[in-house]
Amino acid sequence: MQREKILIVDDSEMNRAILTDMLEDDYDIVEAEDGLSAVAILQKSVDISLVLLDIVMPGMDGFGVLEIMNENHWIEDIPVIMVSAENGTEQVKRAYEMGVTDFIMRPFDIFIVRRRVVNTMMLYAKQKQLINMVNDQIYEKEQRSNMMIEILSHIVEFRNGESGQHIHNVRRYTDYLLRELGKRWKRYRMSETDISLISTASALHDIGKIAIDEKILNKPGKLTDEEFAIMKTHAEIGAQMLESMAGHQDNPIVKTAYQICRWHHERYDGRGYPDGLKGDEIPVAAQVVALADVYDALTSPRVYKGPYSRETAVKMILDGQCGNFNPDLMQCLAEDGMEMAKDKEQEITESAQRQEIREYVEVVMRSKGGSMSERALKLLDYERMKYSFFASMTEEIQFEYMDSPPMLTVSKWGAKKMGVEEIIKNPAQDKKLQEVVRPDTWNKVVQWLHSTTPENPEISGEVMLRFNGEDRWFQVIFRAVWSADEPPKYMGAFGKAIDIHDRRLELEDLKKQASRDSLTGLLNHRNARRRITERLAANPAGKYVLIIFDLDFFKTVNDTYGHAFGDKVLKHVAERLDAGIRSNDISSRIGGDEFMLFMECGDEYAMVIDRIFNNISGPFEGFHISLSIGVAQSAVVGVDYEDLFHAADKALYCAKKSGRGRCCYFDASMDGMFSVLSEIEGEGAGERSDR
Amino acid sequence: MTLKECYDKISGDYDDVISRLRSERLVQKFVLKFLDDKSYDLLCSSMAEGKWDEAFRAAHTIKGVCQNLGFATLMESDSALTEALRAGNKEEAIRLKEKVDVDYRMTVDGIRDYAGSLS
Repeated sequence: MQREKILIVDDSEMNRAILTDMLEDDYDIVEAEDGLSAVAILQKSVDISLVLLDIVMPGMDGFGVLEIMNENHWIEDIPVIMVSAENGTEQVKRAYEMGVTDFIMRPFDIFIVRRRVVNTMMLYAKQKQLINMVNDQIYEKEQRSNMMIEILSHIVEFRNGESGQHIHNVRRYTDYLLRELGKRWKRYRMSETDISLISTASALHDIGKIAIDEKILNKPGKLTDEEFAIMKTHAEIGAQMLESMAGHQDNPIVKTAYQICRWHHERYDGRGYPDGLKGDEIPVAAQVVALADVYDALTSPRVYKGPYSRETAVKMILDGQCGNFNPDLMQCLAEDGMEMAKDKEQEITESAQRQEIREYVEVVMRSKGGSMSERALKLLDYERMKYSFFASMTEEIQFEYMDSPPMLTVSKWGAKKMGVEEIIKNPAQDKKLQEVVRPDTWNKVVQWLHSTTPENPEISGEVMLRFNGEDRWFQVIFRAVWSADEPPKYMGAFGKAIDIHDRRLELEDLKKQASRDSLTGLLNHRNARRRITERLAANPAGKYVLIIFDLDFFKTVNDTYGHAFGDKVLKHVAERLDAGIRSNDISSRIGGDEFMLFMECGDEYAMVIDRIFNNISGPFEGFHISLSIGVAQSAVVGVDYEDLFHAADKALYCAKKSGRGRCCYFDASMDGMFSVLSEIEGEGAGERSDR
Repeated sequence: MTLKECYDKISGDYDDVISRLRSERLVQKFVLKFLDDKSYDLLCSSMAEGKWDEAFRAAHTIKGVCQNLGFATLMESDSALTEALRAGNKEEAIRLKEKVDVDYRMTVDGIRDYAGSLS
């Protein structure tokens, strides 16, 4: 047999050990050292049969645990015994009010501890069993008695030579008429249980016929007075049969059936049999069944007659040709309704009844509010099992977060990967977790979650997490959980984190590619300009030079050696340029054989520039590389990018003009000069376009 | 040294603990375990650092353990300290702590002697 599991919650290891020692022979023991751990265990497992709970504990104390057990209705399924040296009556009272079943006072007495545990377990087990039994039995019993009644009444019908249809029809009509009556007049209104009771009992209305000679019962022609007198006895006989059922006189169905059997041939005007009851002396049950019986007899074929049409049947009844009925009842006799009632699924009454039982059971079960039934707990357990199975198969970090008390549950795989516990209490303060999720990241995510609404609870974003000392990008997807309260309360969230680091790097790589010149790998003009502008804006007081240079006679290279060689030369120039500059400097190919260099430097810039360009100039595979260089200084031009660029451009033009292979610095005298680049972009483009 | 002699030495109530826990083995096990219990260290450090809530819980825990083990003398002084801490009466707590220190040392020394006599 499976052993029951006890959760011992006490911050003192000694006290836990003593209790464990006392109980471990008979029970499985789980220990928790404080309130939060206890809540975590209760949340995760459904097989805790009892909690032994200390009051004074660090963090969440015993009352805190009780509060959460009440909020979640766990207290209804899991009994709690308070363990304490506190004997203040206030505390004891408060604990009992919060659903504690019993107290164990320190010092522990082994017999008392064991006895209290056993008693509490038994009490709760019994209660659970009882609830289950009631659930099952109410329904089963009802079903069984319905079946017996049907069998019995079919025997009668069979002997009558009638089809079993009559009983069904009477039952349907009875049900319909009772509901119609209730709809029209308050005084006839009855509960679902009573309606079902009368409809069920209606099946017994003719059981007395079991005692009538078959010859009379099945005689095709008109009965003689003597025969009719015998026939009439079936009402009383049926009633007597029920009356003689020892020990069941108080059973509501027997009582109702008695009324129906005995008085379903009474007339409203008092001229019926066997007792000549008049008007409301006749119980409603009998009145209704009588009408249902007559209506069905008229509209069905009998040995002595064929079926009448519905209209005729109703007319005959209303005209008083077939007895005399309560006028209220006759008003309900709308033939359409009756027909519809007959065609209704047989289950109707049963299902209405079942519904009522279910509601009743639910009321009992939920007497303390929205509790979880045993079955629901088992289902939940199953779902959790399924969830953790799938979670273990996908290599994803999955998690659940509860806001109050703050607790983070991470999937097994995820916890291992992150190097954290699977259950993290107070995650915002957890050191291990903080190594992976930095506090600012945590706060950002918390903000995201709070920005959700019950209508739009899902949110996702990208965050940087730290794994084994390496920062990696993750996409996190959350679904926030909001309570059904009004207004809704933020309860927590669940979600997962997906490693998108490589994907993101790839993307950044692509971005980088887009910002670079594909031949030389230098920045393209647009990006160089953006970066330079940023740098200038960041420190306008700095000293900068912006240099534009191009290759002399590059057009001849292309013409003489072909474009492939031309490309080789450009690549070579770019490489030498990059090798000569500092990482802070910005180098760019701005088009054709035009390059740009931006540097922040002190007064020794002239030397630096010379060094860089000496490094580039010189022979390369039989071609002599010579450069023309234009330099603009922020000290002269200012820190506006466009101004610097155009100044350098003009200086370059000046260098070209003065015989190539030179370096010119922009000064105010060059203001009126042409531009090399406007030539490229402008009228000289065809001629100067080097590629 | 017998367990009873140990209890006499530390002014504990041997008859009481045996009547409750019913087994000398169990009592012996937990008496020895008491030497490893960290609650007293926690009590000292939290009082020294002025963490009064924590000090209260530690004193409370010691009280519970003493009750369970029938350490009557230590329990008495520790109870008084627990109440002072519960009431937030710091000066009194510091005063009462001295008695707890004496009783704790006496208790632990007694148990150590007993433990020594076992081996």
